[in-house]
Amino acid sequence: MADTTLPANALMPLLDKSFRLAFPFLVALAVGAAILLIIGENPFDVYALMAQESFGSLRRSSATLSAATPLLFTSVATAICFRTGVFNVGVEGAFVLGGISAAFVGFTLPVYFGSAIIPLAFAFAALVGAAWLYIPGLLLARYKVDEVVSTLMLNFVAFGISGYLVNGPLLSRESGNNVTPLVHEIAQLPRLLPPSTLHAGFIVGLLVVAAYALWVKRTPSGFESALVGFSQRFARAVGISIPATIILVMVLSGLVAGLGGGSHALGQLHRFADGFSPGFGFTGMAVALLARNSPLGIIFGSILFGALASSGTTVQLFSDIPLDLVNIIEGTVMIFAVVELGRITLFRRSVRS
Amino acid sequence: MIADQLIAAAITMTTPILLAAMGGLVNRQAGIVNIGLEGKMLVGAFTAVVVSSITDGWLPAVLCAALAGSLVGLLFSLVITRANANMIVAGLGLNVLIAGVLGFVLNWYFDASGTLRLPDVTLLPHVLPSTVSSIPVVGRTLENLEPLTIFAWLSVAALPFLLANTRLGLWIRVSGNAPQVARAMGLPGKNVQDFSTAFAGFFAGLGGAHLALASIGLFNEGLTAGRGFIALAAFYFGRDKPVATAMVCLLFGFLDATQIRMQTAGLPPKLIGTIPYLLVLIALCIVGWRASRKESPS
Amino acid sequence: MNNSTTSAPGRSGNASIRLGAVDICKNYGPVAANRNVSLGIAPGGIHAIVGENGAGKSTLMRIFQGIEQPDCGHIIIDDTPIRLSGPKQALNLGIGMVHQEFMLAPDLTLLENLVLGNEPEAHSLGVLSTIDWSQAKRAGHALARQTGVRVDWKRHAGGAPVHMQQFVEIMRLLRFGARILILDEPTAVLAPPQVDDLFNLLRNLSANGTTIVFISHKMNEVLALADTVSVLRQGQVTFEAKVCDVDVHTIASHIVGGHSDKTVKPHEPAAIKAHSTGTICNVRNLCVRAKEMSHPLHDVSFSINKGEILGLAGVSGNGQDELVECLVGLRMPHAGTVTLDREDITHATNAQRRRLGLGYVSADRAKEGLAASASVLFNVIAGSHRDRPIKKGLFLNPKVMRTSAIERLTKLAVKYGRLNDVAQSLSGGNQQRLVFARETASEPTLLIVSQPTRGVDLNGIAVIHEFLKTFCDNGGSVLLVSEELDELLSLSNRIIVMADGRIVGETTAGSTDVTEIGQMMVMQGAHNG
Repeated sequence: MADTTLPANALMPLLDKSFRLAFPFLVALAVGAAILLIIGENPFDVYALMAQESFGSLRRSSATLSAATPLLFTSVATAICFRTGVFNVGVEGAFVLGGISAAFVGFTLPVYFGSAIIPLAFAFAALVGAAWLYIPGLLLARYKVDEVVSTLMLNFVAFGISGYLVNGPLLSRESGNNVTPLVHEIAQLPRLLPPSTLHAGFIVGLLVVAAYALWVKRTPSGFESALVGFSQRFARAVGISIPATIILVMVLSGLVAGLGGGSHALGQLHRFADGFSPGFGFTGMAVALLARNSPLGIIFGSILFGALASSGTTVQLFSDIPLDLVNIIEGTVMIFAVVELGRITLFRRSVRS
Repeated sequence: MIADQLIAAAITMTTPILLAAMGGLVNRQAGIVNIGLEGKMLVGAFTAVVVSSITDGWLPAVLCAALAGSLVGLLFSLVITRANANMIVAGLGLNVLIAGVLGFVLNWYFDASGTLRLPDVTLLPHVLPSTVSSIPVVGRTLENLEPLTIFAWLSVAALPFLLANTRLGLWIRVSGNAPQVARAMGLPGKNVQDFSTAFAGFFAGLGGAHLALASIGLFNEGLTAGRGFIALAAFYFGRDKPVATAMVCLLFGFLDATQIRMQTAGLPPKLIGTIPYLLVLIALCIVGWRASRKESPS
Repeated sequence: MNNSTTSAPGRSGNASIRLGAVDICKNYGPVAANRNVSLGIAPGGIHAIVGENGAGKSTLMRIFQGIEQPDCGHIIIDDTPIRLSGPKQALNLGIGMVHQEFMLAPDLTLLENLVLGNEPEAHSLGVLSTIDWSQAKRAGHALARQTGVRVDWKRHAGGAPVHMQQFVEIMRLLRFGARILILDEPTAVLAPPQVDDLFNLLRNLSANGTTIVFISHKMNEVLALADTVSVLRQGQVTFEAKVCDVDVHTIASHIVGGHSDKTVKPHEPAAIKAHSTGTICNVRNLCVRAKEMSHPLHDVSFSINKGEILGLAGVSGNGQDELVECLVGLRMPHAGTVTLDREDITHATNAQRRRLGLGYVSADRAKEGLAASASVLFNVIAGSHRDRPIKKGLFLNPKVMRTSAIERLTKLAVKYGRLNDVAQSLSGGNQQRLVFARETASEPTLLIVSQPTRGVDLNGIAVIHEFLKTFCDNGGSVLLVSEELDELLSLSNRIIVMADGRIVGETTAGSTDVTEIGQMMVMQGAHNG
């Protein structure tokens, strides 16, 4: 135990912790770098270009934030469940249904409702999202139906329903294929920094993260859900109802995911279209995993992945490097975020005596 | 006439799902829920198109597709069994990663976006002489019959025997059902799991090869269109039993084949497409409901 | 590589010691699980090893199986010192272990389980070999004949009756060539007639030269079956004898300790009178049906008076855990009533009971008493997070949360680093004090305390005992479930004794001693018609 008396010892845990947090992303960057080397590009140059393209100017920064907006919602929705130990992978489906619900309200309600359409559309989106994830929540709480499979299956059902609606009853008469009509202009979320597509949904997203932080730190139910995540047996023995907690977090998750879909429909696309979400739910999962469910981490992570997405697009334009690099990084982050880090630590912990 | 076409289409549509489901069910019997089947099918399809174009032969293409699938499966398995990664998140991550890698290669090497058309892609051969098409009802099916469909159904016939009566089959079932028993009896449980995931990759790769080489002869990023998950739904619904799962696959294949026809009949194909997933949900509910009734005190 | 015994020690029956231990020590951190354990078991005999939970039996068995390596000392097989590398080597040397949890795969048939790991081949192709099921069946039938049991080999192990599973597990070991069978509490899951069957089988095997090591709590079974007995207590062999030379009470007193003439001073009776002004909790005719891995309760009735500590004694696994779970609302009884402060709480949830003034210190501190990987703060606040002033309006007040956490922890003198440290970083004693700090913070009227000093250091034990006394002096009531008779005798006003899911006796602490309680504890089977 003589080697544990180094003066730098106090820093080790902190370094170790930050290394653990950054580990999946570092691996992903390394994988990306290896691929770039293979195709004969200098990874440092490419990463520098990507950083430049994500944050180099106000215009680029706002593009990054715009790309980060849906992720704020989906990662919060995922984190709510993950910290409770509920493996909800159905955020994607709730997001899509929230989107089509908000769009529906946005173009159906008469214009004389004015800007009241926006809160109504958001409310409907949240309601639909919450109701959607209430199903697997109930099945898990009441009948112990494995939530991974049920939410995974429900995603596809959600895609089917929205796909049917957008090609059938809600199909736009003017624009042709696979899109709904545009929402009324008054129902569109204001752009924050035109001509960038950054819209007020970003603010809503930040508010959602803030509300999540408040829920985590300051509410009894947030406290309870954390305890359930730590140990169901313990939580039960101190009087917490496991089924009620499971249903609550599923509903909250669906609510947030629905809001996210609403924001994307009202702020970004101004309608619902086939391919509404290129996997925001799954990227949100990567963000939540990377952030270990912490609110601040979620903001950072969303912006990080937003940056990847927005810079990826322009990097592809200016060089030969395909946008798919972003997917490679995202997939690697997801895989390495769940690798058991107990075995891969920077500094071996000294044994407590 | 219509029945003729419908059966042929259903059989063709079933094959890729069936192959992936056979691999996935062996994997699940060994205790690993393989969410990455979709990605492995995509790898198989891509490999099959490329190799078929290079070698001008379907057999090397199919074999390479299977090998590529099993290699990816093995790596995926190591992440789960050796680094204790959560198999669900790792599987979803794998799908994203594979989509990324394939898109990247497609873009950068082949300079294609989304769809890869290569010259001289050899399709799967029809095994029976075209004269069989005159047989009523099943004529079209027999005419279209290619090696992978035959292989898929042979595997349905062989798997129950292999799982029940070989040492490896027994070990696979033990490592999934009771890993602690496998350990106590000195069996190489983790190696068996790794094998089963590679096996699932092998079959998913074949499934991908069938998608690419059965008729279209090209690769597309959206080629699998969720079939890996349909396969997952099939073996969940078929409770990991090969024959039952195959019947479910056939049902799904039939639904797939009728979709286009239903559309003309006014039934929305998108909603029909959700039936496999709804069936699994219903099955899960029934199982859960029964278990909860058994458990509760009178 | 001092492990040169690939040629197994002579399989002849000439050895004087078939299985033995010499001065074995094993420490887990600061805890000594085995302290200089020495044993010698003669070939062909049935040897019982008895002792309470935590006495070191399981550790010793794990060492015999090669799962754990001893820190010092060695084991002996057929008079030869041996170092075991793992269960596989142990099995090759003929040591087979039947665990409490059977090592059968539930979805496989009994026949498949029988051949697992040693499959007869029809065609030899390595792992792809096909299995010769007819040969397997013949082997199964032969073993069934040898052991005198009927086995339905086609049945799935999970659906087969427990005793059949157990027999198949024993047969599997015999098929592997086991000459020494170690059985860990094999009767815990069996009904009385099945116990007889098992004993017949074991006697049979023993007569044919198999050495049997039998771990148990139950005195009557030891007397009925074993030739020799060793008692383990606190990691040491405290008693060894031939069974024909001893009686049940001698063994029982060695198990529970305190057999020395230690005088036990009961808690001052004066305090009892001052507070015993009525009943706080009344349990009437409580019944719980037998379910997998749980003990049934039969018609349990008792009451707890205000201001008293009621001790519940009993050999572990006789229904105490189930009773406690019924009282705290984690298990629903099938019949009977429980009242708390005259209110019927038979079907109330745990949270409702807590609001009525119930506190609960679980026997399973690591999994139920604490959330081991959550912070000290979370652990000490959990359960009262909806109470004022921790919750103010809709929100938690973090400042109050921290101050009341510190207050609670200080009251019980819990030593911790920071409030955000994880609970498992505390020592066993401090973890238990943390649990007490949480459970008594809301000033409950009744505290259900199960095994409060298990794995707690001496100093911690003193603090917890003192705390319980003070708690009652201030008018609280306690149900104290413990395997430590000394603890029960020094703290309780009255003691009830449980055996086989029934209350079999009641006594007051002043008028009894270890021997009397020990006698009541082993009265199992008395009620089995």
